[in-house]
Parts: sequence; structure tokens; C-alpha cells
Amino acid sequence: MRTSIGQYYPANSPLHRVDPRAKFVAVVALAVALFTRDSFAALSIYGAAALVAFVVSRVPPLWFWRGLKPILWLVVLTFVAQALLARGEAFYSLGPIHLTKRGIELATYLSLRLVVLVLFGSLLTLTTSPISLTDALAWLGRPLRRLRVPSDELALMVTIALRFIPTLLVEIEKIMRAQRARGAEFARGGPLRRARALVPVLVPLFVVSFRRADDLAMAMEARCYQPGIRRTRLHPLVARPSDFVVLGAVVAMIVAASLV
Amino acid sequence: MRIECRNVTFAYDEGGRPVPAIKGVDLVAESGSTVALLGPSGSGKSTLLMVLRGLLEPDAGVVVLDGSVAADKEYAHRQREIGLVFQEPETQLFATTARDDVAFGPRQLGWPADMVDAAVEEALDLVGLTGSEFGERHPYSLSGGEQRRLALAGVLAMRPKMLLLDEPFVSLDPGARRDLAAVVRRLVESGMGLMLATHDVDQAWSLCDERLLLVGGELVAAGDWDFAGAGAELLAAHRLRTPFFVELWRRLGRPLADAPRTVAMATEALR
Repeated sequence: MRTSIGQYYPANSPLHRVDPRAKFVAVVALAVALFTRDSFAALSIYGAAALVAFVVSRVPPLWFWRGLKPILWLVVLTFVAQALLARGEAFYSLGPIHLTKRGIELATYLSLRLVVLVLFGSLLTLTTSPISLTDALAWLGRPLRRLRVPSDELALMVTIALRFIPTLLVEIEKIMRAQRARGAEFARGGPLRRARALVPVLVPLFVVSFRRADDLAMAMEARCYQPGIRRTRLHPLVARPSDFVVLGAVVAMIVAASLV
Repeated sequence: MRIECRNVTFAYDEGGRPVPAIKGVDLVAESGSTVALLGPSGSGKSTLLMVLRGLLEPDAGVVVLDGSVAADKEYAHRQREIGLVFQEPETQLFATTARDDVAFGPRQLGWPADMVDAAVEEALDLVGLTGSEFGERHPYSLSGGEQRRLALAGVLAMRPKMLLLDEPFVSLDPGARRDLAAVVRRLVESGMGLMLATHDVDQAWSLCDERLLLVGGELVAAGDWDFAGAGAELLAAHRLRTPFFVELWRRLGRPLADAPRTVAMATEALR
């Protein structure tokens, strides 16, 4: 449960205040740019930018570390695979293993690129509350309404789903304790036995969740929720000049990185 | 069976920050005794019950069960003699028949099949849901009150010697409350120890001889009920009150020691 992927760190840094739409577009653009320009120079520009943004964000380093931890094995795997599979003149050989200069370079490059990508992703989610992120996605998805994609409704669904994750976790803990009081054991036996031990948790969880979803739908209708109509927002998204400055800086950086 | 808490302290871990819930609690509860665990919402009643049952481990202090402590071999066995029924336990029902759900606990204990069957029928009888009538019903087809009694049967089937009930009467209609109270009364009469966590002082007064008052995780009163002077003020000061019948006796100027527990007793006294 202790992972920071998709977690929000509430603070009042300049980065937190940037319009979520601008942040989202910037991160997507940076991710695409990262993967279209293969050069150490470009990567170091992006890496430096990520570090600066990280300092500006005032998020404790530990939170980034938590975000990186789950993908660390992927980084290591990338490094090892690239280091071993690259062709070229080996400077070190041990049995079937040949290490080449080109291989090490490529491995370093690819794994660092992955780290920078995750840093950008973490920066987005850590400095943007889930609500404003879904607002941003709803706004960016508006043009899709012409194609009958209900972007506002989808955004609301995501918001509600996010809202209920902590509730579900509390519910799971409660049910597990209650079943343990009835003699259930969750940490014993092989995978099959463990999976079967979850039945007394999952069945009540589903029942409770569906009941809660039903209640919520009724309560929303009682408060006049209607799908498909245009809603106003309590906190409308307002783009300020500084947001365009951020976007401009990102564009300039991408252009610069593609030239070096 | 005898449960003894010595200086028990427990804190929840919320993102690395300890949030104290139980602070230095000493108490004794035994088979044959009926204790109300009173306290306003959020005072730590549920947490204390979970600590007693061993679902939460105390950060400090010990829970002694029949003289044995956590390090002893028979401790886990002693813990299983404590039946804990959670708040709204009907949300834990998961099997497709009432009988199967009640059998879950005994089967987890690894009892032989005939012993499981006997315990299940016995437990269903105890809560007034006879096996012949309710055994093969789907738990979710039962009424709310029946579901709650079925969940209680699921705990009784493990043949506990002490019963810890966490707000058992919450959100039941009067009929279901009466049925459940009758079940609890029968269990107590058969010698089962009872600890009833609630903020419903009337229900507590009608079922329990003693009371504990838990406030902010600390035990501020224990032992026999006491409504003289400070005792009543203590309840009122913590978002509780004196039971209805006790208040009535006070206003009638009658001796509080004779205050009735039930409508029948009150009728008898006032006739």
C-alpha cells in the first residue's frame, strides 16, 4: 500500500499552482520527446529539468523514492538486458557474457531515460490533486464529445472511483479482522489456499460496494444529478499567464534538446 | 474464563504517525460476569475489544487469559475462547447457505465434521434460527435482524466462553432488538461472560451488572453501576446519560439501588 504512484502530496509550491491542464500536456509532451530523441545531451537536459522541477515542487525526496521503488526492477532489467545483448567489440568477457562499451552506454542511457520518465510522471501526480487531474482530463477530452464520448461523465466516474479507494481499503481491513475473529487465516498455505482464504473477504466486499454504489447513485439523483448536461464548476480551471510561461519553457526545452 | 488487562496501551499507525487509541487500561472480565463497556463514539471501545481478542497487539502492557500470556503455548487456544462480534456483523456473511456460513469458524478450527455439524445446529438454535427452517436459506434472503443473529451464531459455533459484542443493537428495528436481547439474555443465563460495548445506556443497564467507562482511550470508571452524585455526572460529562429507569427513579425520589432494569421490573415495582 506504501507506493507513491498516483499519490498526491499536498503543498503550496509554484508547481502545485500550475494549471493541471498545462502540467498534463507538458508531461505528455516531455514523455514523447524523451522517446523520440536518442541522445545523452537531450537526456541530460530533461534530467536537469526534472531535478529543478523536483526542487521547486517542495515534495520530500522520500516520496519520489517511493514512486521509483516499484519500477526499480524494470530499470535493473533494462540495464542488464541492454548490457548483455548489445553487439560490438567486447572489453570484458566471461564465458558467454560479453560486455561492450556500446552496450554499457546504451544500458545506462535506457535505464536513465526510464528514471527520468518516472520522475516526470511522479511530478505530475505528486503536485496535482486527483480531482484537478480528472478536471483537466475532462477539459482536454471535451473535443471528443463530438464523437459522443461522455468526457465529463468519465471524469466524474474516475473522481468517484478515486474517492472510494481509501474507503474500500478501510472496508477490507474491517472485514479481514472480522473473519480473523472467526478463525480465518490469510497468510498461511500455498497460493491456492491463500486465494481461497480471500473468498470470505471478497464476497462481503462486493456486496457492500454494490450497495454503496447504489446508495450513492440514488443520493446523486436525489440531488438532481443528470448525466449529459453541461455543469459549472466550483473551482473553474483558469489559465493564467504563468501557465503559458511554463508551457513555453517546456516547448523551448524540447526544441533545444532536439537540436543538441 | 478470565480476561485480565494490565496497563494495555495501543496506538494506530497512520502513515508512520502513531495515533493513540487505548491508554494504560486495566480491567478484569470473567465468565458469568456481564460488563457494559460504555463510552462516546471514538472513545476506543471497538479497539479495546479487538485488543482483548488478540486481533490487535498491544504496544505496551499484557492481556492475560486464564493466567497465560502471549508467550505461552496455550495462548492462541485461549484467544479462540473469546467470541468477538463486530459492529454490523451481517456484512461479513459470505456463504451461500446460513448453515455453511455458521460452519466457517468451526471448520477453520479444524474440528471433525460431526463436531462441526453439532456446533452449527447448536449455534443456530441458540440464536433462534433453527436449522430445519433457516439452515439452507441464503443469508442475504434473511431479514436484517435475522442476518445479525446469524452472524452471532457464526461466532457462537466456535463455542466461546466469553462473548464480546460491539454495538450489537445498532440499526435494528425494535422487534429485532427485542429478539437479539432475548438471545443475549439466554446466553448470559447459561453462564457465558458478556462484554457489551455500546453507547446505548438503556440497553447496557438492562443487560449488564457492571460497567466500564472508556473516554479518550482511558478507563475512567469500573465496577458496579453508580449513579449517586459523581457517577451520573461522569456519564453526562461524556455525551452519555443515566438510563431511563434510573432517571425515573431519581425523579420519583425512590432509592436508586432499587431502580428496575426492565419494563417488567418497573411495572412490578410501580403497581
